[in-house]
Amino acid sequence: MTSTPPGRALLWLFGGALIFFLVAPIVVVMITSLNASPYMDFPPRQISLRWYANFFTSTEWVGPTLLSLRIALIVMIVSTVLGTLAAIGIVRGDFRGRQALEMFFVSPMVVPIVVLALGLFFLFSSAHLLDKPVALMLGHTLVATPLVIVLVRAGLRATDASLELAARSLGATYWRTLRHVTLPSIRESVAAAAIFSFLVSFDEVVIAIFVGGPDATTLPKRMWETIRFEIDPTLTAVSSVLTLVAVVVLVAAELLRKPTN
Amino acid sequence: MRAATPSPGALLTAVSPANSRPAKHVWRSREGLLVLPALVFYLAIYLYPLSRIAAWSFFDNGPTLTYYRDLLGETMYYRALANTLEISLLSTALCLLLGYPLAYLMATTAHRARRVLMILILIPFWTSVLVRTFAWIVILGNNGLLNRTLIALGVTDTPMKLLFNMTGVQIGMVHVLLPFMVFPLLAVMSRIDPNTLRVARSLGASPRRAFIEVFLPLSRPGIAAGCVLVFLLAVGFYVTPALLGGPGQVTLATMIDMQINTFLNWGLAASLGVVLLVVIGIIFAVFSRAFGVRELTGSGGA
Repeated sequence: MTSTPPGRALLWLFGGALIFFLVAPIVVVMITSLNASPYMDFPPRQISLRWYANFFTSTEWVGPTLLSLRIALIVMIVSTVLGTLAAIGIVRGDFRGRQALEMFFVSPMVVPIVVLALGLFFLFSSAHLLDKPVALMLGHTLVATPLVIVLVRAGLRATDASLELAARSLGATYWRTLRHVTLPSIRESVAAAAIFSFLVSFDEVVIAIFVGGPDATTLPKRMWETIRFEIDPTLTAVSSVLTLVAVVVLVAAELLRKPTN
Repeated sequence: MRAATPSPGALLTAVSPANSRPAKHVWRSREGLLVLPALVFYLAIYLYPLSRIAAWSFFDNGPTLTYYRDLLGETMYYRALANTLEISLLSTALCLLLGYPLAYLMATTAHRARRVLMILILIPFWTSVLVRTFAWIVILGNNGLLNRTLIALGVTDTPMKLLFNMTGVQIGMVHVLLPFMVFPLLAVMSRIDPNTLRVARSLGASPRRAFIEVFLPLSRPGIAAGCVLVFLLAVGFYVTPALLGGPGQVTLATMIDMQINTFLNWGLAASLGVVLLVVIGIIFAVFSRAFGVRELTGSGGA
């Protein structure tokens, strides 16, 4: 565009500094995780993988990691099914109050997660489900479903609804049309939604603090406690692994999105 | 943006042959039934719990306003509300100040460079907030990377206090919230026709004048959407103020946690939750009056 070269260079300098600000902390933690000493030196004086070894062997970390994986997997399945069906109903359906329902479905994204967690705390304490994995699964599903709806809705709006009509007019039943025409055409966005809903649950901490407990401690909750009460260098290894998970998820979602563009 | 593409319903009416009309009606209503599982889930796990919050805040063996009276009577709660607004306003302003030039750079640069910048923003964006907050503790602590570097360089003798105060909270919050400002800004800026700026220039406007009088006003919907989004998220923020803030940065969100997990005062926690929701409702109402709901929810968001 019409910007003078020196101004442009300054803009790039500023942008570069800002990107550095965004990325550097994560890189610092990843490098720090390779320390041999427990003092979190940067750069490490001696390299070792002892904090990774500790993360993958101590029951204090392995238990919560497995629980988080289990919860995230179930949240992924439930929220993807609920959210995909809801998105199809909203975009293709025709009923009274459709727009109001759409806003209602997306609204948990605007409500502070502390307030959601507080409500879930009241709900699960009266249902005697506090400190049980199922409470976390339900809570995380509430956070993940709006995201699924938004992603699948965008995918549906980009596809051609007349294909579905063509299938119907050629005699396909309602369910066959859904199964063989609608769902295949939004495969990529559903897959991306599934991946992101997994990540949302895997990283979620506030609901885990409110409705989890000693019997249902997820990985983020364990990290939270460790950061608050005694900083343990194992955290640097855990953080690096979580970052790598996020990068893998991002790359996977990006690869899925490409064919549609 | 949405108005430009015909709704699926309109599309169906346009292409459907006349003889399929009766079947079409059934088909369309049956599609709508797919929202039911999610609706049941939302009523049980979303709406009912929210109503429990309202119930806890207004009832204690019968209707009562005790908890709200407690809130009004204690300066501690005013402080929490004031802190929340102060932290949120400051981080929104910082995000706009920093995010606008970055979004402008991305909107006006070549596609490949923009893609690289986008990936570099998305990686931290999808990294857990907890991980990023922990990273700042490692960097900003008294014995952290930044202070050690500054002392080694002779900039200061004693470590600067960068954690457990407003500085720490703002660094952590801006780090998390900046992408939420950049994305809506970028969405709006990418749709601004570069020719409008060329026309302004060819009519004799300086680059600065063309920017201020043409580009800036056209990017207004993005500014509005970004500010609302960041402000709403900031008001409800919990992890960052709790871990990077000190006693002076107690917010409504951290206060709710304290009432539940430390003081075991459920009614007060519930009334704080209601206050937080009301604050969010007011923000949304004010912004949508100023900018129009359509700009906030429709055209701005990506």
